Amino acid sequence: MIVVTGSSRGLGLAICERLHSLGVDVFGLSRDVSNATFPSMSCDVSSYEDVKKVVLTLKKEDKKVSGLVNAAGIASMNLAVTTPPTVSQKIIETNLLGTIFCCQLIAPLMMRNKCGSIMNFSTIAVSLGLKGESVYAASKAGVEGFTRSFAREMADFNINVNCIAPGPIDTSLLKGITTNQINKIVSQQIIPKQFSPDAICDLVELLLDARSNSLSGQVLHVGGA
Amino acid sequence: MTDIRHAVFQKILDGIEDKTIQVTDNTPLIGDGSVLDSMKLVELCLTLEDFAEEKGFEFDWTSDQAMSRSRSMFRTAGSLASEFTNQMDAEK
Repeated sequence: MIVVTGSSRGLGLAICERLHSLGVDVFGLSRDVSNATFPSMSCDVSSYEDVKKVVLTLKKEDKKVSGLVNAAGIASMNLAVTTPPTVSQKIIETNLLGTIFCCQLIAPLMMRNKCGSIMNFSTIAVSLGLKGESVYAASKAGVEGFTRSFAREMADFNINVNCIAPGPIDTSLLKGITTNQINKIVSQQIIPKQFSPDAICDLVELLLDARSNSLSGQVLHVGGA
Repeated sequence: MTDIRHAVFQKILDGIEDKTIQVTDNTPLIGDGSVLDSMKLVELCLTLEDFAEEKGFEFDWTSDQAMSRSRSMFRTAGSLASEFTNQMDAEK
């Protein structure tokens, strides 16, 4: 089973739908699962207790977890000096702590089987140091650092941990960003084109495949950065 | 020694390659002189999780509460066995 966070929208939803369509056993986690078309459970990833409940459920149902995709994330495009403290806190809690909590609690389910693949999500905003995204970039830089160290901790258990860092993908996360702004970011990628969620789904499939088991602790930039 | 304490010590012993080592209350599990490396320590926790399930309770080895109660339950074999027993008794 592959556990995917942020499964109600954006990249998380696209990944769930792709894997589900391929017949992969998917389990989506999201605060709102009312419209889910695949097995899901309500979970706020920034709540340690919520994630723990998910783990207890998976253990009770004797599910064999072989993958975790930490796609849950929020963004708020704003200058750091005009970002309210509650917003900064929410971004760090969801993006960074949410990723850490899910890794801490769900990885042991994979460690029992000595195999698995974990994918965390960063952003091109980290490598480009994008203006107006400092708090968001800070949360994702934390995810990259966590990924590299956690990958070493998991290597003994034959679990690969990598980070996918997309450029601007057409999802609800881009709401409020103008076409000009998107084009400017895209032009700074090595491959200067805007990719669709399909490119991310392809990469997730690749990282779930045993043929990628030489990759761990890597930040994979979609579009190149 | 209670059966549970003995069982916890046995599970610690199972993870030690040098079978001449004897596990006592004071056997360190972390830091200087530790008999287990970090990987074996995590494996021990997973084994204790399963053991707790057999005994009908959830062994919590990650929460603040579990860690602060004994200032790292992994200090020694004795402190780990005590924490395991305490959590079992608390659930009854």
